[in-house]
Amino acid sequence: MARAGGITNAVNVGIAVQADWENREFISHISLNVRRLFDFLVQFEATTKSKLASLNEKLDTLERRLELLEVQVGTASANPSLFAT
Amino acid sequence: MGTMMTSSALRVPHEASNFDEVSMQQSLIFADSLKHMFVQDLKNLRTQLYSAAEYFELSYTNDDQNHIVVETLKDYTIKALVNTVDHLGSITYKVNDLLDEKVDEVSGTELRVSSIEQRLRTCQEFINHEGITQQSLVINTPKYHKRYILPVGETMSGTNRTKSKYQGRSLDDEDDWHQFRNAVRATIRETPPSTVSRGHSPSPSPRPPQRSAIFSFTATMPKKELDKRTVSPHRFPLLRSGSLSSRSVTPSSTRPTTPNSSRPTTPNPNPRRRYPSEPRKSASMRLPAERENGKDIEQYPSKSKRLLKALLSRRKSKKDDTLYTYLDEY
Repeated sequence: MARAGGITNAVNVGIAVQADWENREFISHISLNVRRLFDFLVQFEATTKSKLASLNEKLDTLERRLELLEVQVGTASANPSLFAT
Repeated sequence: MGTMMTSSALRVPHEASNFDEVSMQQSLIFADSLKHMFVQDLKNLRTQLYSAAEYFELSYTNDDQNHIVVETLKDYTIKALVNTVDHLGSITYKVNDLLDEKVDEVSGTELRVSSIEQRLRTCQEFINHEGITQQSLVINTPKYHKRYILPVGETMSGTNRTKSKYQGRSLDDEDDWHQFRNAVRATIRETPPSTVSRGHSPSPSPRPPQRSAIFSFTATMPKKELDKRTVSPHRFPLLRSGSLSSRSVTPSSTRPTTPNSSRPTTPNPNPRRRYPSEPRKSASMRLPAERENGKDIEQYPSKSKRLLKALLSRRKSKKDDTLYTYLDEY
């Protein structure tokens, strides 16, 4: 009986260890995927920041050019003699 | 997250004045709704995950069927992870799309601004060109052919510049004519007195006063200068007589001549080419003064021909009779 109980306990421990290893494998898989997701989010943030920076630069350049055009058009409009033939 | 929510909540739609502002406002509203929706979803997912974790913790401690609780937890974790990945994928795709749309809009706006700048530059260049044209002092002086240039003293509707230029030319021609006469005079004086007397004999008696009147320059010149000219190394400067004779025939004050330095000075047997002023003069351009003195004008070509013949014979036979006769007649 004792020998049978010892074998059963050993089997149970083996099963528990195997289940524990399976659980660990599952957790490692989940953590790996979460890390991949985190890496994707970091990469996405970098890409979006770069795009937003270039867009901001373009908008700044465009704003300056528009201001220059506005000043030129204002100067030309203030001098109607330029358009007199 | 809270900061983003606060910033998005602060954006209040304003009254749009034109179409561009309306479209910009709509796009901003769309971006705000996108952000708000996905942030809210992520926030709900976060609370759900926290509540699920608490539930499974209690179930694992209280329930006897731990195996089933663990399996359920695994399934829930996998589903939550997949759902989160899908959600984040959808968010990133929409954000990327929105960014690309904005970049395209900015590129289109840059093109429009470049077009406006180019048009403005074209207008500026046109204005500058017109200003230069207005401010430039280019006067289109009428350009006449040489034969149409009126002589000094005639009224002319053209500019004074052409007139003064022609006056200068006439003066030059007069100087050349004086030099030519002096040279001929000196050549004649060098000849023996018998020849001179022979040349003078056929001339009529009333000629001398006329000759003295014409050669007033010679008479007023000092004797020293005359002697200098007689002994000058240019013994016979009549080599230029080909072109000078044509000028000398015409009166310097009444008839215009066109001095042509490129014309050959060698004697030309063709008298038409030697006297360019006579054939080039068109009948329509003759002056009233010339019409009055028509006889004199008709005599000029014959005199010129005789002068040419005299010069040619002078070079060949050294006889000055004809030349002297011509000078006497002139």
